[in-house]
Amino acid sequence: MDHQLLHILRNNPLGRETLLQSIYFCKKVGAFPVIYIPKTTKFLMYFDNDVVQVDLDKSYLDAGETAQAHATDILTQAGMEPRFLEPKHYTASTLPDIHTGFNYMCCPRSISDMSSKIGIGYIGPRVRRIVKSARFPVLIASPVFKPWNSIAVFFGGSVNAVKALRLGFHIARVSGLPLEVFTQIRKSSKEEYQQVVKDRNLEKDVDQYVTQWRFFENDNFENHLYEVPHDALVILGAYGHGVIKHMVVGSKWETIQETLGNNLLVVGPNFAAWR
Amino acid sequence: MRILRYWRYPGNWPIFRFDDRLLLILMAAIVGIFSGLSSVVLNRSLLIMSDWLHHYRHFWWFFALPAAGAALSSLFLEKVVKEGAGHGVPEVIYSVSRYGGLLRLRSSVTRLISSCLTIGSGGSAGPEAPVVISGAAIGSNIAKYFSLNDRQRVALVGCGAAGAISSIFNAPIAGMVFAVEVIVGEWKSVNIVPIAIASVAGAEICRLLQGNQIPFGHHVFKIDFLNIVACLGLAVLSAVATILQTRMLRSMHTISHKVPAPMWARAAIGGCMVGIIGLYLPVVLGEGYHWTEILIEGRYGQILTIVALASFAKIAATALTLGWGGSGGIFAPCLVIGSLVGVTYHHLLVLFWPSISWVNEGYYALLGMAGLISGMLQAPLTGIFLIVEITGGWEVIVPLIIVSVVTTTICHYFEPASYYLKDLVDHGHLLRPGTDERILSDLNVSELIEKDCVTVHPSMLLRNFIDIIKQSHRNYFPVEDEKTGDFLGIVHLDDVRPYLFDPVMYDTVLLGQIMRTQVEVVHPDDDVLDVVRKMDIKGLYSIPVVVNHRFIGLISKATILDQYRKELMVQCHLL
Repeated sequence: MDHQLLHILRNNPLGRETLLQSIYFCKKVGAFPVIYIPKTTKFLMYFDNDVVQVDLDKSYLDAGETAQAHATDILTQAGMEPRFLEPKHYTASTLPDIHTGFNYMCCPRSISDMSSKIGIGYIGPRVRRIVKSARFPVLIASPVFKPWNSIAVFFGGSVNAVKALRLGFHIARVSGLPLEVFTQIRKSSKEEYQQVVKDRNLEKDVDQYVTQWRFFENDNFENHLYEVPHDALVILGAYGHGVIKHMVVGSKWETIQETLGNNLLVVGPNFAAWR
Repeated sequence: MRILRYWRYPGNWPIFRFDDRLLLILMAAIVGIFSGLSSVVLNRSLLIMSDWLHHYRHFWWFFALPAAGAALSSLFLEKVVKEGAGHGVPEVIYSVSRYGGLLRLRSSVTRLISSCLTIGSGGSAGPEAPVVISGAAIGSNIAKYFSLNDRQRVALVGCGAAGAISSIFNAPIAGMVFAVEVIVGEWKSVNIVPIAIASVAGAEICRLLQGNQIPFGHHVFKIDFLNIVACLGLAVLSAVATILQTRMLRSMHTISHKVPAPMWARAAIGGCMVGIIGLYLPVVLGEGYHWTEILIEGRYGQILTIVALASFAKIAATALTLGWGGSGGIFAPCLVIGSLVGVTYHHLLVLFWPSISWVNEGYYALLGMAGLISGMLQAPLTGIFLIVEITGGWEVIVPLIIVSVVTTTICHYFEPASYYLKDLVDHGHLLRPGTDERILSDLNVSELIEKDCVTVHPSMLLRNFIDIIKQSHRNYFPVEDEKTGDFLGIVHLDDVRPYLFDPVMYDTVLLGQIMRTQVEVVHPDDDVLDVVRKMDIKGLYSIPVVVNHRFIGLISKATILDQYRKELMVQCHLL
C-alpha cells in the first residue's frame, strides 16, 4: 500500500463529496490520499516535459482555518491517517511547486472555474492539461459521492487504450471487483482487437479479470453508453490519437465524459503503465 | 499525421541521428532568432510608449504616470495572466537548477507587456531581465515541443537568454557570457556552442531590423598609469553602491509587504514616489539609456553634490519600482547608477587632486557601469564584455577588468550571493550541475527503497528469528504488528548478538522484548538530501520508509551511493 493519491482540498460541501470519492477510491485500490490545502489560488506542477500552472477557483481558499480539521475528521472517520502536503519549493518565491511523484490524482471536472460550471460535458482546461502531461491517471470524480462496484474499461486498440486496459487489470486485481471491457468497432473486426490484446501478452489477464467484453457494432456510440453500469468506475485513455484528430473529429473520451456521470479514471498519453 | 509526428521528433531525422549536437545547433539558431525578435518588439514598444508619454512630462501631475504604469503592470500580472511580480531571472535560474529548464509558455510574453507598462511610464527598471525570461521561455517551449531531453532543454534556455541579451544590447559576446556565467552556470562546450550560435542569431536579427549600431558612442581615452591605479578607488565606490542597491531593494520588498494594501496599490505607491523624485531629478526615470549616453560623453555637467544625489536617487528609485511591485530588471538601472557613480568619483578626484590630469569623466562612467553590473550579478566577465561591446571601448579593457574583479570580490565578501541568486541560495534552490545538492535533488526516495526485507512480529521467538537470519542477507528486520500490519520498530543483528550463543534464551526471548522502538523513519515524499542529513546527524546506515504506519522498505547509504554515482555520471557525460 505505497501508492499515493494527490487530492487538492476544497473546503466546502462540494469539496467534501470529492474528498469522500478520493477516500473511497483509495480504499478500493489500496492507496492513501495526500491532501494539499492550497494557501494561494495558484500553484505549479512540474511534469517530465511540461509545467502546468493550476489557477484554482477562489472557493478553494474558503474557510482555510477549518480546512485541515474538516479533512482530518473525514479521513479519521474513514480509518485513514491524515497526511497533508506542504510545498517545499516555490517558483519565483510565490508560486508553490507541487511535486508530481504520485500514483493518482483526483480532480473534480474543473478546478479553475467557478463550481457552477461543473457538470456533465465540461472538463476544465487545467484538468485537461494535467491529464495530457501526467504520468499518473487522473480520477475525475462525479459531482456527488458515488460508490462504484465494478470497473468498465473502454478499449479502442490504441497504445493509450492498452495502458487503460492494464490499469483496469491492476485495479480489478487489488479491488477484487468485476471488470467489463467495452469496444466500439470502427473499421477493424472483433478479431483485430483481440489480436492487439494477444500481441501485448494480455490474454491471461483478460481471461482472469474480464467478466464480459462487449463490442458495439453500429456507429451510435453515445446510445451504447447506456449499457455501462451506472455504478462502475470507468477507465479510459485520452489524447491517444494526436492533436489533429482530436480537433477535427473529436474523440471517444469527449463523448464518454459528455454522456456518463460515472467516476472516470483517465489515462493520458504520458501515463507510465504499471501492472 | 505521420508527417506531423515526424516533425515533432527531429531527433529521429537521419541527419541528427548521426550527431545530435547538430540538432541543438539548429534549435539554438531558431531560439536565438525568436529571442532577438522579442527584444526588438520590447525595444520598439518602449520607444513608442516613451514618445507618447513624453508630451505629458511638463505637467504637474506627471508624477502619477509611473504610479499608473506600475499599478497596471501589477494588475496585468496578478489578475490577467496570474503570475507573480519580479524580473524573472531568478525564475529562469530556478527552473534550470531544479526542473531541467521547464518554463511556462505564457512567460514568453507576460513580462514583456508588464515591464513595458512599468518602464514606459517612467518606472526605474530595465527591459533586459524581461527579455531574458521571454527568450528563456521560448527556448524551453521549443525544446518541449520537439521533445528534447532535459540537458538539451537547459541549453536552449541558455540560448534564449543569450539571444535576448545579445539582441537588446547588440552585444553577442556579452549575451553568450551572461547565459553561461549566470543562467546555465556550466562552462562546457555542449552548452557554449549552441549558446554562441543563438547569441549571434539574436544579434543579427537586431542588426537586420534596427541597424548595426553600438548602443553608446565610442570614445577614445588616453589612459596613463595613474588613471589605472585610480580605478581601484572607483571599484570600492562601485561596491558600496552595489551593496546599497542590493540591500535597499530587499528592504523595500520587505517594507512593501507590510503595507496592508493590494499588490497593484503597493506598486502604485512605489511608482508615485519614483514620479515625485523624477520631478526634480529626471535621470531616475525609465531605463535611462539616454542618460547613460550623456554621462559617457561627459555632457551631464552637474556639480559633485547633484551627481552624488542623482546616484543615490537612482538607487532609491530602482528599489521603489522593483521592491514595491513594478516589473522590470536591474541591468539598465545598474548602467545608469554605475555611470553616475563613475562621474561622482571623477569629480572627487578632481576636487582632491586638481593638479593631476585625469581622463575625461566618461572613462570613469564606463568603469562604474562595469563595476555595478559585475557587483550586482557577481559575474565579472559579463560586466567586462558587456561594457566593452556596448561602448566599443576595447582600449579600457585593463581598468575594466580591475574594476569588475575588485568590485565583485568586495561585494562577495558582504553579499555572498548575487542579487539574482540570493533567494535561491537562501532557500537551497541553487543547484548547479555536478554539485552534491544537485545530484541528491535529482534522486527520490521511491527509487532508492529496498523492498527485499523480511518482516517479523513482536511475538516471534528468538529461535524462529535465527532461522530467518540464516536465510536473509540483511542486518535489519522490520517488526510489524501481527493484526494490523502497522510498523512497530526494527531489530538489528547487533540486538540479538548477546543471546546468540546462549541456547537457553532461544525459547524465552521474544522479538518484542529486544526490538528498537525509537526508530527514525522517512516518507517517500521526503527529499533525499534531508534523508542523507538525517543519516549523517544520527550516524545511521539504513532508515525504514514508512507510509500510513506501514513499512514500505529500507533506504541504505550503500544504495544512495550507488545511485549517486550513476546520477553523477549522467550529469557529467550525458547530452
